[in-house]
Amino acid sequence: MKFTDKFKYTLLKVIDLSGMTFLSPVIRLCYGEEPKVQLQKIGQWILVPIAGVLAFLFLWHVTSGSIKTKSGTLPNPEQTWRGYKAINAHAERENLKMEAYDIVGEEREEMLADARLQLSLVAPRVVSTNAEVTRAKEAIEIETKALIEPLDTEYKEKKSEFKATALERKEFLILAAESLPLGNVEAYEKFLAEVKAAESHNEADKDELSLLKKEIDKIREIKSPDVADALNEQTLAAEEQQFLMKQIELLSDRNRAIQVEAATGKILDYKKDFLSLTGKDAYAKARTIAREQSRLSKMGDSSYAKPATIWYQVKRSVFCVFTGFLIGTAIAVPVGIFCGLNSTFMAAMTPFIAIFKPVSPIVWLPIALIVVSGLIPDPDNNPFIEFLWDLPFIGVYKINPAFIASAVTVALCSLWATLANTALGVASIDKDYINVARVLKLGFFARLFKIVIPSALPLIFAGLRISLGVGWMVLIAAELLSSSEGIGKFVWDQFNNGASDSLAKMMVVVFLVGIIGLILDRIMIVFQRLVTFEGTVSV
Amino acid sequence: MTENSKFVEISNLIKEYPNPYGDPFRVVEDFNLKIKEGEFISLIGHSGCGKSTVLTMLAGLNEISGGGIILGNKEIDGPGPDRAVVFQSPCLMPWLNAFGNVMLGVKNVYPHVDKATQTQIVEHSLSVVGLADSMKKYPKELSGGMQQRVGIARAIALQPKVLLLDEPFGRLDSLTRMELQDVIIEVLEREKLTAMIVTHDVDEAIFMADRCVMMSNGPRAGLGEILEIDFPRPRNRRDIFNDPKFFGYREHLLAFLEQRSHIKGDTRLFSGGDMMGFLKKGQIKDLTDNHMGVVA
Repeated sequence: MKFTDKFKYTLLKVIDLSGMTFLSPVIRLCYGEEPKVQLQKIGQWILVPIAGVLAFLFLWHVTSGSIKTKSGTLPNPEQTWRGYKAINAHAERENLKMEAYDIVGEEREEMLADARLQLSLVAPRVVSTNAEVTRAKEAIEIETKALIEPLDTEYKEKKSEFKATALERKEFLILAAESLPLGNVEAYEKFLAEVKAAESHNEADKDELSLLKKEIDKIREIKSPDVADALNEQTLAAEEQQFLMKQIELLSDRNRAIQVEAATGKILDYKKDFLSLTGKDAYAKARTIAREQSRLSKMGDSSYAKPATIWYQVKRSVFCVFTGFLIGTAIAVPVGIFCGLNSTFMAAMTPFIAIFKPVSPIVWLPIALIVVSGLIPDPDNNPFIEFLWDLPFIGVYKINPAFIASAVTVALCSLWATLANTALGVASIDKDYINVARVLKLGFFARLFKIVIPSALPLIFAGLRISLGVGWMVLIAAELLSSSEGIGKFVWDQFNNGASDSLAKMMVVVFLVGIIGLILDRIMIVFQRLVTFEGTVSV
Repeated sequence: MTENSKFVEISNLIKEYPNPYGDPFRVVEDFNLKIKEGEFISLIGHSGCGKSTVLTMLAGLNEISGGGIILGNKEIDGPGPDRAVVFQSPCLMPWLNAFGNVMLGVKNVYPHVDKATQTQIVEHSLSVVGLADSMKKYPKELSGGMQQRVGIARAIALQPKVLLLDEPFGRLDSLTRMELQDVIIEVLEREKLTAMIVTHDVDEAIFMADRCVMMSNGPRAGLGEILEIDFPRPRNRRDIFNDPKFFGYREHLLAFLEQRSHIKGDTRLFSGGDMMGFLKKGQIKDLTDNHMGVVA
């Protein structure tokens, strides 16, 4: 076999293993293998899905404008993309700020000069966007005024007209009341009916007025897309300006090295003074020096208090889902194996499985939170939490009770699929294998590890795949409720934030969660394929 | 006679399946057979007559309802490595390679032997069946015949007293079938094992065995007739197939089977109702066999 052919088949095998079979016609086409068939396959499995996505984007673009919400219309694809860029810009800026805090020497000065240059460039942009906002607002005001004015005059005219007619009716009726013949029930009844009619007249007039008023208010409330765009530009410019100012601050006065230098200089000065003092003053100076020194030593270890960025939250969520998934697997697989091996044990477990399986994460989470906070009442001074924070790689994720509760919730909701599939896989082992095991007189453990578990692995992994998918769905809800730093909390923060682009950012999360879920599923498919043995060849 | 002797004595063997609507359903009744040490018995009969049932009872995989089986002065009770079985399908573990599949049994039967010796046993039995070059191959990389060779190697690696072959070539083409027949005959001659083969193939039954045991038709199948095959060993396929005695044996066997067919009706032409009965009794295997050669 030629090397290129070998490479082709390896590539095709990898593609098949990872379940991305839509790519294999592309590879085959590159090697010139049946171009007609490959093109047809590419059309079906690549072009058609792309067309589907485009059609979806078009529909989204067209319909989103007509879905009105409290904070403007539903974001269209373009606004959602802008939301993504804003989220990403925040993450990048926080990284730059952290860098600015730590940087020293010439590099610091270079960065500072660069930041100052950018700040000078952004200043005119801020001014122009401000002016644009004012202009757009004025323009819309003139426009609305033109629309409102005729309505307003109509309103005022009608109001005075109605007032006059109401007064007229009132006076007429009072006059009529004075000449009512006493004892004539009929006349009294007639008068009552007249008053009623007059009242309903008044009501109708009032309704007409309020309708007119509503119409005017509606015109006032109309949001001009120009103003929204101008506001957006203004926000972007202002945010960049703010960021640059903050960066410059962190590069100069609040830079760690500079702060340390300043504090060291201060202490030296204090010491000089101290050596020339006696008595009470010397004591006071000594105390000051001691305090400054301890502050200095703390400063040396400090780092920039970086707020959570979206990518940190994504990583923490993935870490959390795997933690919960591992806890769930550690319970589900052994229990599932026992269920499959022993029908009595299965019978004992069935009620629990049946009752707990449909329980929603919303119910498990508060329970898990209370139990975990009961076990870890003071997370700031808990040796276990401290131990976790000091661990390499996972220490940065700052595991706290909310994280543990979310992971436990994921475990409790996701383990059922693995449990059921493991039990099924173990129970449905090929009878031929059991016969072989009996003839070979395999012991319990040899039977378990050499025959039962390997033959159940494909089904176990099918269960694990479902579990991870369920766990990922559950986790976002759990994080949202428990405020565990992660994607769920990001959504909750945006919901409470209510900025003009919050909704767009939440839409971004929809895609983010979907894509990560897809990647997790693909990973599990690869594992599942690796443990699935094709049946032995039979002639 | 000692504990290690390899003779088998089957006496008044009965197999019954529970029948919820009447008396238990008796598949095998009063089956008596004495197998001498080192003798090769072939068991032949119509589909569903209970041949495999007798063999699986001897293997200990099927519970004995009545009577008993003695192997080397000891009554058998459940399966064990002294009676190795080669199944119709190779039944290899797809997650283990050829070496691993054979080692699975060896490790268990010789737990106190050191690893080098275990490896030696495995390698020896694989080379006996002609798989010295394919030890590291996984079942999916082996042809059906090669897989069955691994199955045979796994059986003989246990160094059993009795080798039980349950239609071991039923799923193989006739060329592979001949090859494997030779492999088995060679192995048995070398290891001096007692053996029993269940087969549909009349030629195979004559060529391989010292005695052909014909079973009467089920239900209530029993021993029909025994035919002594008087060919010297080692046997040569061409010589035997040209021997006039061979045709005599063949005629005899076919006549027996045909006669039985007349008595009970041709069991191969089941009516729908009968078929359901047989399916329930778990005789599907016999009905779906891909018969090669002369079929009983």
